[in-house]
Amino acid sequence: MSKPAAIPVVPPHPTAPAAPAGSSSPRSGEDGVDRLRVLSLVVEDGPGTLSKVSGLIRRRGFHVRAISVGPSREPGLFRMTLTVDSGHAEVDQVRKQLERLVEVVEVEDLTGHDVHSRELVVARVAAADLSDLIERGAKVLHSSPTGTTVEFAGDGSEVGDFVEDLRRHGVQDVVRSGPVVMRRSA
Amino acid sequence: MVLEALEREGVELIFGYPGGANLPIYQHLPDHPKLKHILVRHEQGAAHMADGYARACGKPGVVFATSGPGALNLVTGLATAYMDSVPMIAITGQVASTQVGRDAFQETDVIGATSSVTKHSYLVTNINQLPRVIHEAFHIATTGRPGPVLIDICKDVQQADAPNVPPERLEIPGYKLNGHVNLDHAKAAAIALAEAERPVVLAGHGVLLSHAEAELREFAEKAAAPVGTTLLGIGAFPVNHPLSLHMTGFMGTGWNLKAVQNADVLMMVGMRVDDRVTAKLAGFAPNVKTFIHIDIDGSEMGKNVRPHIELVADAKLALKAMIPHLPEPEKSRGTWLAQIDAWREEHPLKYTHSNGHLQPQDVLIDMYKRCRNEAIVVADVGQNQIWAALWWNYDRPGLFLNSGGSGTMGFALPAAIGAKFARPELDVWCVAGEGGFVMTAQELSVAVEHQLDVKIVLLNNFSLGMVRQFQDDFYGGVRSQVDLTHMPDFVKLAEAYGLPALRVDKFADIGPAMDAAERTKGPFLIDFRIDPEANVYPIVPLGKTLNDFWEAPDQ
Repeated sequence: MSKPAAIPVVPPHPTAPAAPAGSSSPRSGEDGVDRLRVLSLVVEDGPGTLSKVSGLIRRRGFHVRAISVGPSREPGLFRMTLTVDSGHAEVDQVRKQLERLVEVVEVEDLTGHDVHSRELVVARVAAADLSDLIERGAKVLHSSPTGTTVEFAGDGSEVGDFVEDLRRHGVQDVVRSGPVVMRRSA
Repeated sequence: MVLEALEREGVELIFGYPGGANLPIYQHLPDHPKLKHILVRHEQGAAHMADGYARACGKPGVVFATSGPGALNLVTGLATAYMDSVPMIAITGQVASTQVGRDAFQETDVIGATSSVTKHSYLVTNINQLPRVIHEAFHIATTGRPGPVLIDICKDVQQADAPNVPPERLEIPGYKLNGHVNLDHAKAAAIALAEAERPVVLAGHGVLLSHAEAELREFAEKAAAPVGTTLLGIGAFPVNHPLSLHMTGFMGTGWNLKAVQNADVLMMVGMRVDDRVTAKLAGFAPNVKTFIHIDIDGSEMGKNVRPHIELVADAKLALKAMIPHLPEPEKSRGTWLAQIDAWREEHPLKYTHSNGHLQPQDVLIDMYKRCRNEAIVVADVGQNQIWAALWWNYDRPGLFLNSGGSGTMGFALPAAIGAKFARPELDVWCVAGEGGFVMTAQELSVAVEHQLDVKIVLLNNFSLGMVRQFQDDFYGGVRSQVDLTHMPDFVKLAEAYGLPALRVDKFADIGPAMDAAERTKGPFLIDFRIDPEANVYPIVPLGKTLNDFWEAPDQ
């Protein structure tokens, strides 16, 4: 019997959960930011759809960081925008697993793409003088002697800054939506 | 209307259990003599029977259960089928649509409880949905990567009347099938494999599901590439073929594991590459330069191992596309195959024959002689499963059934019953340990009622053998809650159910007892009292790599 052929050493080995081709250092972030995927889904309008989507995300060890749902252009179909932490899985697993659901008609991974990403915040503040907020684009929804309710829309960091600023105005309550995201047209 | 729809889908056999929320269906069952209904003794038995039926003949198994506990009793069986990609239709009764959400009697959120173990599920609250839903369910269960589909039908819907017209064509916008083979990838994969110095092909259940055995064999012979199978892929490649590596994974054969760990190109066909195949992932196939992965489910690509070349396609179509592009195998191939032959001689399957106890391998070797390459063997879970897998000696596919992914104890007896219903012309052997056997032993009634020729080979070691082996070797030698000395007298148990049985504890009695089983019409049980210390070898210690397998100690 002959000796086994020489065995070359070929690092790095691809058996560890790995990045899809083209993405660099996919899992370096301690905060998990690198694991976040922004996905735009077209789903069936049915009573079971949300639970099927969220159940799958939980089961695969992913985590929903933000969600928004509303009707789409097509009757019977809804648009769902998800920001999902892919956990210990290869990041592309989130899209692939969602595609397996029959209720999910279409999945587009918009992470890192050129997009319009908009979030909405509604806040009630104690202060009466809100001119600086209004200058930034906030809109007054309601005023009363006890406080003022404003709304503001922007991308994630604009909304984040806005919410920071609200603190100076004696913020009483804040509600914030998940982002809705659309590809920028060329 | 449910029953008409099932007839339209070609259903002949239903395994089920009636109860409050599915009585309207059962009321009409006698009007449908073409639908044979098998009354089980527990709903889990129905699910495993439907599973065994589907695995044995390829048609979807159909199960009926009522709401609440009836449906919940299916969950383990659905999970078993889901993990192993077995087509199944479960039709469960649900409380009336007006009662849903009110915690009505025997109400459970069955969709919620089963959505993680089904390929798809439907809650039917309106009669007009029903013809479309049933038609879609069969399509989804049987196409692409097969799996169980559950239809939960409210009781008032079962009682309603409406025109029973199925949709003319299926429109399921969210259900896409991966049919087309990427020819560039197929060509690249064929070339990478043929030009490898040390190629290995591993074949999984997907090869059997797509009936790609002939293509796999042609491919392997043309590429001169050795082929191993997963536990569920057993039968996908003839075990006695010179290129066979037999079973892979953490209880696979030594020569298989050596080949995988030294391969430079590894092609994985129709398999999930789970932890039982890879053992410690970071040390799996460390010399591979090119992983090729073929699977019909795109989400398998990179789920555990990131392939360099991926083919998201049916195994048969993929192999067919690859074969014409195979160049002449690399010149050094003879060296590699000779090396594998050397490993095969160095690490043979072996066991201790003569320590005074009956050895499970003695029993199985005798059984497989009688199988003559054409009986169905259904194994349970645990040591019995691995022994039955390793001593398998067939050249024909599709005849070894077991719960691989889910590892469901209690699978074998009901699945063997389902397999016998599916293939009445074939002998069916059920191999089980006593621990798993008693989990679903109530289904013996079904075997007796229908006088099914199912021969039960009980490998009775008076303990939970696999767990005992793990405790001995990997958990500090502490034997904790594995003693099963207090079990029924299985001969008397069989008699109580109405089937003949024998007890064997000596080597010399194996043959005569097997003769008696074969001679007897109807079910037969043999309680083989085997060596309580018998272990499964080879085995890779938990947390180690495939390189670190232990072999059976020398006698």
